[in-house]
Amino acid sequence: MNSPTTFTPVGQDELDWLGTDPVPTKPYYDPAWFELEREAVFRRSWQQVGHVCELPEQGSFIRRELEVLGASLLIVRGKDGEVCAFHNVCTHRGTQLVDEAAGKRSTFSCPYHMWTFGLDGGLISAPDFESFHVTKAECALPQLACEVVGGLIFVHFGKPESSLREWLGPYANKLEMMPVARATTFSEYVYDIDANWKLTYDNFQENYHLRFIHPSAAGPSTSPDNPFAYPTAYDFHGPHRSQRIWTKPDMAPPTGVQAVAFQRGAICAMADGILGAETAKDYIGLFPNFFVFGSPMQHFSHTVYPIAADKSRGVIRLYWIGEDETPSERFAREYFMAVARDVHTEDRAVIERGHKGLASGALEYLHFQTQESLCRHLFNMVSEKVEAYRAELTGRAEQEGARA
Amino acid sequence: MSTQTLLPESFAALEPYVAGWARNGSAARAGRRGNSTAEEREAFYAAVAGELPRALDYLDAKGFAALDDADQRLMNMMLCLGHVALAVEQQNDAEPRHARDRAHMHITHTPAGA
Ligand code: FES
Ligand SMILES: [Fe+2]
Repeated sequence: MNSPTTFTPVGQDELDWLGTDPVPTKPYYDPAWFELEREAVFRRSWQQVGHVCELPEQGSFIRRELEVLGASLLIVRGKDGEVCAFHNVCTHRGTQLVDEAAGKRSTFSCPYHMWTFGLDGGLISAPDFESFHVTKAECALPQLACEVVGGLIFVHFGKPESSLREWLGPYANKLEMMPVARATTFSEYVYDIDANWKLTYDNFQENYHLRFIHPSAAGPSTSPDNPFAYPTAYDFHGPHRSQRIWTKPDMAPPTGVQAVAFQRGAICAMADGILGAETAKDYIGLFPNFFVFGSPMQHFSHTVYPIAADKSRGVIRLYWIGEDETPSERFAREYFMAVARDVHTEDRAVIERGHKGLASGALEYLHFQTQESLCRHLFNMVSEKVEAYRAELTGRAEQEGARA
Repeated sequence: MSTQTLLPESFAALEPYVAGWARNGSAARAGRRGNSTAEEREAFYAAVAGELPRALDYLDAKGFAALDDADQRLMNMMLCLGHVALAVEQQNDAEPRHARDRAHMHITHTPAGA
């Protein structure tokens, strides 16, 4: 059977503004560069840390560790229903307040000397407080800027230059249209990887590797006129980027257990009203380390948490609307999680090899082709921020030098 | 109930596969795929895959609230089949290596119970 010709790749002329030069390898493994990224990128960006469905009630909380900034966060749904983020640090002498990963409480008490905080972070009581030389009001938990878009919780460690919604621009509306905005539960799997966060993240923003690394999953989605299953469009907004996934028009129908999963899953997605959504083929990458894919059957997000220059952690979530309503729905959801996990398994293995090679220092430059433009864009955005921060540091040092 | 059947009556033929594959928890089911041999997987798949639509129809008709222990075992066995089918239908010869790499991907949360 001849495939209908339906595919036109995005042309280089549309992407020339990103540049075409080889890209230096050092930022992908150098510990000194990573130290700069902590401040220039992660302390200065909104970061995705969770979803509102993890905080179903007043007093629900989650603890999140963000190694890149050495922080432990306590994210709480308060009495007013608002989601707030605090440092998980007792204001008496700094003890980590909460140990559990998640739960529900009306107050948080520090195990060390029993200082007790409310859901709003305020200090409610402290034994023998009269002997201190400070007011309770001065002892509230340190709070971070925290905002929600599309059900996704973001925090900002510094002073945000703009609201989360402004920062996301047109992608805020897209997120609101995706199933994630209505999700009530999720399937999650987590991996640790010996690779820089950008190398890990980049793997998931190019399709060039699909047919080689995912032969069984990608085979059916390529065709003679689009042998690499490249996307049909790219889009950029500030530091963020997106692509529209191409799907083969004459894909062979699934067989066996896979066919049963597709049939049962499609019925559930239809019942949830997410089949044929406008965002179904949108892949949205939010700076610095989050992306979400709109596919209704396999609607997943992926956050790549940096741990060190050569270590990161990937958290993948498939978001679902409603609990498993029927055994068929349970089957389809578990199957699609396992499918995604299989694919990501293949990615993880090859990314580690990439890091090893670059970290050897054998190469001064790496190369991105036209259809790896999203990777180039991430590099451009990171290096812009790191260079600006470096200039700031130099400026500060000179000022101090002049003063001395 | 006094019946000692492992599975609902109309699925009695699948009882030899209960001990090996009717596992509780998504991670345990994924793990079972990972530590099975190709022969075990193929035998399980050959016996059970054809019964999947009928099993899901039967369980759907009952609904979660009415599932007894035998029904729950049938459910868990079918969920495990989903994992095993990926090895048999998709990975084929790549499965042994894939299983090693897959061990790094830890299932931490599912609606069914991780
Ligand atoms: S450090 Fe928390 S009460 Fe003392
Ligand atoms: Fe991949």
